[in-house]
Amino acid sequence: MDTSKIPAVIANNVDVTYQVLGAGSQTRDDSVEGFFGRAKNRARSQVGTRTVHAVKDVSFTAYKGESIGLIGRNGSGKSTLLRSVAGLIPPTGGSIYLNGQASLLGVNAALMKNLSGARNIMIGGQALGLSRREVREKFDEIVDFADIGDFINLPMSSYSSGMAARLRFAISTVKVPDILVVDEALATGDAEFKARATARIAEIREGAGTIFLVSHSAKQIESMCTRGLWLDKGHLIMDGPSSEVAAAYAKKYPARKTAARRPAKKATTKKAPAKKTPAKKAPAKAAPAKDTPVQDVPTTGRPEGQ
Amino acid sequence: MTLGGPDRESSIPGMPPAEAAALAREHGMDQVGVRPPFGRYLRDLWRHRSFLITMSAADYNSRHQQNVLGQIWGLLNPIMIGAAYFLIFGLLLETNRGLEPGTYPTFLMIGLFSFIFISSGMNAGSKAITGNMGMVRALRFPRVILPISISITELFATLPAYAMALIVALLSGETPTATWLLYPVGIVITFMVTTGIGMLFARLVYAVRDASNLVPLLTRVLRYVSGVFFVITAYSEGFVQFALNYQPVAVCLTILRQAVMEQFAVDWTMWLAAAGWGIVLMVAGVVVFWQGEATYGHK
Repeated sequence: MDTSKIPAVIANNVDVTYQVLGAGSQTRDDSVEGFFGRAKNRARSQVGTRTVHAVKDVSFTAYKGESIGLIGRNGSGKSTLLRSVAGLIPPTGGSIYLNGQASLLGVNAALMKNLSGARNIMIGGQALGLSRREVREKFDEIVDFADIGDFINLPMSSYSSGMAARLRFAISTVKVPDILVVDEALATGDAEFKARATARIAEIREGAGTIFLVSHSAKQIESMCTRGLWLDKGHLIMDGPSSEVAAAYAKKYPARKTAARRPAKKATTKKAPAKKTPAKKAPAKAAPAKDTPVQDVPTTGRPEGQ
Repeated sequence: MTLGGPDRESSIPGMPPAEAAALAREHGMDQVGVRPPFGRYLRDLWRHRSFLITMSAADYNSRHQQNVLGQIWGLLNPIMIGAAYFLIFGLLLETNRGLEPGTYPTFLMIGLFSFIFISSGMNAGSKAITGNMGMVRALRFPRVILPISISITELFATLPAYAMALIVALLSGETPTATWLLYPVGIVITFMVTTGIGMLFARLVYAVRDASNLVPLLTRVLRYVSGVFFVITAYSEGFVQFALNYQPVAVCLTILRQAVMEQFAVDWTMWLAAAGWGIVLMVAGVVVFWQGEATYGHK
């Protein structure tokens, strides 16, 4: 493939740190005695900032037409790295080069919560660089894809999380971006929507676009991506074909059957990937519908609106 | 090929920076997370102009959405505030020294509404980035759109009040003359001053969060030193008078009064000072804000 040699994203030695305010020393010295000593102690724990080093020295080159899955545990820096790739959180070290325009599809669906869906479509579409007329022309298409019906004229604060996620997805993909960054947006929404979203993602990839996908599920990465990146505590520790990365990840962190039950024996987990191999050959559309990615609290990234 | 493995303790090494830069140049790729050149930044801003207007209008419309009377509050609010101030300063404290009888309501309305425009623009503008982190982390656009759009929203919100001030002027016996044509010009200059200060404060509060606690204090002080409800020249003299007269907020109030009120002749030095403040603050605001462009989103 010739197109696979055109780089879409070059990330080189990327570091991202951010500051958390009001997080002071975090530790209280319990040995302090006396009223004033304790008051000072308590005050100090609330004052100042802390720096979080979320992404450490990450380097990779993504090529056109690739779909890349990022895998890693909670807090491993996946969301932060992708926000940097999308140009939203500037890296504090290293460099990121993009070939074209990047668009982020995040879990935080509402752009402006107190405004109606219709207004959010106008704002989002224009922010992506469409003209007012172009947004109006595509309006019905967006509403149809999001499938939210009469709710379109109600404030987005009244939407369910699934509805908001669908609308956001529809807005983000209205202008086919060169690089689409999907940050766990597919974890919300029902099976039917996931199938449609998967089809839309495949469409973008066929148009020689590049996709980045964050997931906790090795299976989802394996079925939807060609390449896998494994992040651990901010480090990029593995980079290769999605099947190999997913297999290595599944081996280290065996998937649980249900969130409540932890598999006691290794034998059961070793069976799991073998049993699922036929699913890989099934059409991509059906696969994610069956998967239930381990749904963590959607605050793996950073709190919004701070 | 597969690089690294599950047991690595550090990142897979990258290429030398120069090599990465060369590869990027070869394929015409843009570096992200760096400040764009000023010219390109302005062009980018111009391309986003309809986005800017849409955002301001949407923001304005959402403002009174939680009330039963909705947009009517946009008109009711200035009427009530104007009445309250007239009661206190016009009737109780009689701070109308230096004014012809009967002209105090017009004097007060123009000053008060302009001041509310500037001060709420300053307050909201200072939170332009910190209050819109959701947008900043979801969409890519020149961030300077945020403080500008807040200013435009405040302008939309003040226009009914400005119209009302003209009605008060007519009711209290002012006659429309050619200088009334300067009224919109004065409003534009006031908008420029507000936007400039908003952009400067947006960057300041983003860099030093705690500064947001000082902005309300500053607007409160400005309320009392800008001649909102008294004639500066009648209550001060010498250098103090000069400083109070020519500070950016006071000049805006003065030129708008000169445009409408017969007893204040149009003083071109004052207009020049006001336009100067407007241009200087706008340029300084855009440049200072642009210099921080690569930092927004870090905290």
